[in-house]
Amino acid sequence: MLKNKNVAIILGIVCFILVIAIFTQVKTVNDMENSVGTTLSGNSDLIDEVLSEQEKYNKLYEQLEKAEEKLEEVRTEATAGNQEATEAEQELKENNMLLGLTEVKGEGIIINLDDNRNVESDEINISQYLVHEEDLLHVVNELFNAEAEAISINEHRVTNITAIRCDGNIIRVNGQVITVPITIKAICSKAIYNTLIRPGGYLQLMVDAGVVVKIERSDEIVIPKYNGVYSDAHLTRGDE
Amino acid sequence: MKIKKQELIISIIIGIMFCVLTIIIFVQSKTISYTDINALENMQETELRKEITAIKTKYTEALEQLEETNAMIKEYEETINTDKEASVLLESELEKSRNILGKNTVQGEGIIVTLVDVEVGKYGKITANDLIELVNELRAAGAEAISINGNRIVNISYIVDLSETYIGVNGERIVSPYEVKAIGDITYLESGLSQKQYGYIDTKVNEGKDVTLEKSDNVVINAYSGTLSFKYAKEVE
Repeated sequence: MLKNKNVAIILGIVCFILVIAIFTQVKTVNDMENSVGTTLSGNSDLIDEVLSEQEKYNKLYEQLEKAEEKLEEVRTEATAGNQEATEAEQELKENNMLLGLTEVKGEGIIINLDDNRNVESDEINISQYLVHEEDLLHVVNELFNAEAEAISINEHRVTNITAIRCDGNIIRVNGQVITVPITIKAICSKAIYNTLIRPGGYLQLMVDAGVVVKIERSDEIVIPKYNGVYSDAHLTRGDE
Repeated sequence: MKIKKQELIISIIIGIMFCVLTIIIFVQSKTISYTDINALENMQETELRKEITAIKTKYTEALEQLEETNAMIKEYEETINTDKEASVLLESELEKSRNILGKNTVQGEGIIVTLVDVEVGKYGKITANDLIELVNELRAAGAEAISINGNRIVNISYIVDLSETYIGVNGERIVSPYEVKAIGDITYLESGLSQKQYGYIDTKVNEGKDVTLEKSDNVVINAYSGTLSFKYAKEVE
């Protein structure tokens, strides 16, 4: 009898979560359709073109990913049994990881930033309540100062060629548009939490300015790989 | 007693099915929130056109990379079939990754931006922020390698104000004049910084700072002096 009761309770909870998930999902889709509807008259052709170009890129990138996997396989096969070559291959793999070309995981910090929407729109300094591209630049800089090893902004990996730019009211990371709320994930020692929240730290300054900031520690963060390519068209090795 | 056991098993199975379903829905809604369609909706016509050009550029780059990768695969396959040494090939791949990562000293065409404190520690002082913004602008203009007073900027570099006089780069103390070197397409690098009024140089000069740009056919950028390795980040297999 007791067991049955337990089962019933578990089922109830699962059903409840399911219902909430479905509602959230339906709401998201509805919101999307509404917003698409409002601009149908204006730039819908251009938006379609952006989406189809993006899809073309995604398909090509998938091909590229497959080719890179294949390359790794033939490379391993070609260097099998050669001690020196195996070491070189190991370094190449490590370099690719350091360059952000592989997905990585580890302990770290998750920072959520959002515009403060509880501000009257006639407030004079409305801008200070919003998240700007320079905020992201400084937060990233502060994380690296605290010895972060890998960072992503809304799932876009921050690499050595990543620019964070503002284009009117749009923020771009790696050339791709991102919107609030912004999630910055960093793989680093969890202990830097105390450094980040110190008075006078950049995040505290943002809190003081009225931006919505949430910081949490996590035991396992997964950070995606960079989804673009590095160019070395103008680089040659120089003399030491 | 037997019937009860069966009921329990059925319940568990139903429970598992629900869980799977829930996970699927969560994954699905996550996918939707990542497509930034909302952002596209809020963009002007000119911005959308820029967006299209930007994606097309990325496409071309990825296509080049794909061709290069496929060529590499072929060459490696040849070494397997003919018993030739693969080490030469591997070495060239390794060199490229060391060049872009910062393990090698590199050279090439580019620009040198010089920033000088107008009056030390006071008016027209160059701050860490000026250098952070400059590095960001150079990256946006396609810089392939950057250094500040000989310190290579790598993916984990940071720039901080240390005092009225000193700025810290990669943990090294540096002082004005700041010489920022960048290798990349000269035209892109120069035009990226020299936009009238709103460009980096005009903005800083208007703030009363001393910033000058110089082009060069051969900029030499040092290797990173620290060690690059991860302690907390592990590769996801």
